[in-house]
Amino acid sequence: MPEYDPGKRSMIDSHVLSTPATRNWPSLVELRRKFAGRWVFSLLLVTGCAILTLLVLAPLYTLLSKSVENRAGEFVGLENFARYLSSGGIESAFFNSLWVAGLSTLVVVFLAFMAAWALTRTRLPFTGWIRGVLVLPILAPSLLPAISLVYLFGNQGVLKDWLFGAEIYGPIGIIMGSCFWTFPHALMILLTAMDNADGRHYEAATALKAGPWRTFWTVTVPGARYGLVSAAFVVFTLVITDFGVPKVIGGQFDVLATDIYKQVIGQQKFEMGAVVSVLLLLPAMLAFIADRYVQRKQSASFTARSVPYKPGQDRKRDTVGALMLTPTLVFIFAIIGMAIYASFVTFWPYNLDLSLNNYQFGRMDGGGWGAYGNSLQMALGTMVIGTMLVFFNAWLMERTPQPRILTGLFQFLSLLPLAVPGLVLGLSYIFFFNHPDNPINGIYGTLFILMLCTITHFYAVSHLTAVTALKQLDQEFEAVGESLNASRWRVLFTVTLPLCLPAILDVALYLFVNAMTTVSAVVFLYGHDSQLASVAVLNMDEAGDIAPAAAMAILITATCAVAKLIQGLLRSWVDRSTRPWRQGTE
Amino acid sequence: MSQKTQGSRLEIQGVDKFFGDFCALKNIDLTIEPGELVCFLGPSGCGKTTLLRIIAGLECQSGGLLHQGDTDISLKPPRDRDFGIVFQSYALFPNMTVADNIAYGLRSIGMPKARVRSRVDELLNLVGLEDHARKYPAQLSGGQQQRVALARALAPSPGLLLLDEPLSALDAKVRHHLRSEIRNLQKQLGVTTIMVTHDQEEALAMADRVVVMNNGVIEQVGTPLEIYQQPASAFVASFIGAMNFIDSSPLNGQRVKVGDRELELVRPLPSAEGAVRLAIRPEDVHLLPCGDGEWEGEVRALDYLGAFIRTHIRLNDVELELIVDVDPRSARRLGLCVGGGICLNLPSDALHCFAA
Repeated sequence: MPEYDPGKRSMIDSHVLSTPATRNWPSLVELRRKFAGRWVFSLLLVTGCAILTLLVLAPLYTLLSKSVENRAGEFVGLENFARYLSSGGIESAFFNSLWVAGLSTLVVVFLAFMAAWALTRTRLPFTGWIRGVLVLPILAPSLLPAISLVYLFGNQGVLKDWLFGAEIYGPIGIIMGSCFWTFPHALMILLTAMDNADGRHYEAATALKAGPWRTFWTVTVPGARYGLVSAAFVVFTLVITDFGVPKVIGGQFDVLATDIYKQVIGQQKFEMGAVVSVLLLLPAMLAFIADRYVQRKQSASFTARSVPYKPGQDRKRDTVGALMLTPTLVFIFAIIGMAIYASFVTFWPYNLDLSLNNYQFGRMDGGGWGAYGNSLQMALGTMVIGTMLVFFNAWLMERTPQPRILTGLFQFLSLLPLAVPGLVLGLSYIFFFNHPDNPINGIYGTLFILMLCTITHFYAVSHLTAVTALKQLDQEFEAVGESLNASRWRVLFTVTLPLCLPAILDVALYLFVNAMTTVSAVVFLYGHDSQLASVAVLNMDEAGDIAPAAAMAILITATCAVAKLIQGLLRSWVDRSTRPWRQGTE
Repeated sequence: MSQKTQGSRLEIQGVDKFFGDFCALKNIDLTIEPGELVCFLGPSGCGKTTLLRIIAGLECQSGGLLHQGDTDISLKPPRDRDFGIVFQSYALFPNMTVADNIAYGLRSIGMPKARVRSRVDELLNLVGLEDHARKYPAQLSGGQQQRVALARALAPSPGLLLLDEPLSALDAKVRHHLRSEIRNLQKQLGVTTIMVTHDQEEALAMADRVVVMNNGVIEQVGTPLEIYQQPASAFVASFIGAMNFIDSSPLNGQRVKVGDRELELVRPLPSAEGAVRLAIRPEDVHLLPCGDGEWEGEVRALDYLGAFIRTHIRLNDVELELIVDVDPRSARRLGLCVGGGICLNLPSDALHCFAA
């Protein structure tokens, strides 16, 4: 620490004398103090930025440069794009992707809003259980609804007649499947937006003699508008970048995501894969930027201390709520139930006896139980490394003194993955990490690169969760700590981490579940010894082993459900043992 | 029961603080004597909290020096300074019991366990929370939490105690009670204390000296009595207590002109040229029955404020409305009623005079 010495003093004194009336720049004294003792934290955050640059920015850059190079690596400008355009890819895949994603978004947001309304604005019983069922799809890989739909409406499907001769293989299937797995995402956003309703607004509406219909349109809908917009952007991005559902049930219907896969895996045209990736990146980026813009507005309007809304007695309204929930619940049960049933049926549709034959993965291609073991390892690794990385970086950003430019850069880098579709990320990892000149290309094809890719893929949401939790803590904890001679590290371990435990558990579960279920980012990256269960589902389905594919999908879902259960138990234990910390602060 | 802490002397020399173009503090000079309780008082945004944070080292001054005792602390980070701090939010660690919160600073300096325990007990006694040692902060009332924060800050026996609006989160009754409690504790321990507040009543009631700040400069430093009775500027006069301002133009010597009248002042004018503002406290205006005083006026409104009546009087000859505080008995004697006439004198020894 800087000790008093005469030389230093004269420097400061002369500075005091020369202080001008106004100044933009920090003085020498400020800079010295800013630097002293703080550079360690800044250095660590610079490291965090470097890691994210390596994991997101550098691969993306490689991908972008590949899209303007030919196979030999020479710069060809927009020639690849022109070639893709002339092949008719724009008309088919690009526009197909747009309208399928758009329509799915409409349906999902509509259903999710009805469900959220029924859960927050009526007095239905068992809402806890209903919420649990409604978010079940999040535990399943996106391939599961597609497989289930094949059993329900496919050529040998039990409900084939319900489509009146229309084909499930194509846009109908993609939209139905996408609705299933994106529904929980929309629901959770809308529930958050609508749970925080201010009861005073409803009382005011009643006092001003507004009927239920007018109250709905003037209070409920405006209150949820940011949630609605946010949910729409999220669902749109999820659907347009998803690869699992269209791969299984898309048939001959081309979308961008399957097109990338075909160009790269089918035809080994990496530069064309890069071109399609750029095209996929555009709408995702736009949705991301628009969403951030809307969110910023929302935080500005989020100020007043409100009284939570409690719905009164109203039988008629509750019945409406129940009717609104029913179709969604039936759909979710049908999809999951069908997949479970199909996975136990010996030989669909000829031998409907139940058996465990389809779970004998050793007999099929696709990696078998080994792939499942790899998935578990990968998910656990992603969970442990990812949670630590996310929290440590978020802590550096939120709770240590940092130059504003550094926190801004870090925030940008950590949110960027939200705009990058998994397939695009995976492809750019091939370009970047498999490059012969890359010193760490040895990790290519290992479980480790799969972990890195998955952590990156799901970094943004984890980061936001961590930042939100850290922001809620009293801003003066570190200052108090310093006045009591405690370093920021001691405050971190004795105060910050214990208080953030619930958020840490949430992030851990989020990373585990997504690592178990993801297909898109890892489908390009797995090697011979690093087959994953979710990819095995895809490969078995492609090979025609659709029942074992269903079985593996169910196995993944069950694993995630167990993880959720364990996390739930841990959380309620934490909640119980920390109740005295929160008592009376409601 | 508790050893008397030796409070330290604090010297602030020429401290400036800029946030970009904005000048939050301008050339602040201030010396605080050992054992003194000093209040920084001012409207929000006047720089009082910034100055406190600079003293704590949580914010770095753009220029200037700070000495605590004989040590130059200008460049020291908070950890190397000798102070305890209580924030408006208290910032108690919610995951620790009252005892653990108080012990936090003692454990940081590696005090042996047995001594930590006895020191914590001592402090619990001091703030009267012996029975709550095992409770968590959320299980305490606001006033109790505030005492824990105080005990935690005092535990390592700092030479300087910093209080950042420590009472503003509490309701009025608790606040009044804690005021005297903090004051007694501070006297008993002899710890030099700086308290930031925007509540003038609090500052006047507790402080040895009050530092009135506005727009990043110190307007006046003085005892509560000096601040109230001899405000150094129109800002101080209007910020502390109620004040009537009367525009006037200077004549020769100590004479000024208000409307058509001339007034003789007991003190010389602040400047020979330009308009001056006279000021008089509502309780210093002398009300008389009609026909007896120098000025005549009409009662416009009466506000009953308990111990006294605030009377709004419109003067007849001058465009001027004055507020005058009268006790209820005099009001009855004068027969004060809205719309009634009244006479008043402005005693020249109660008139303050500021440059306009």
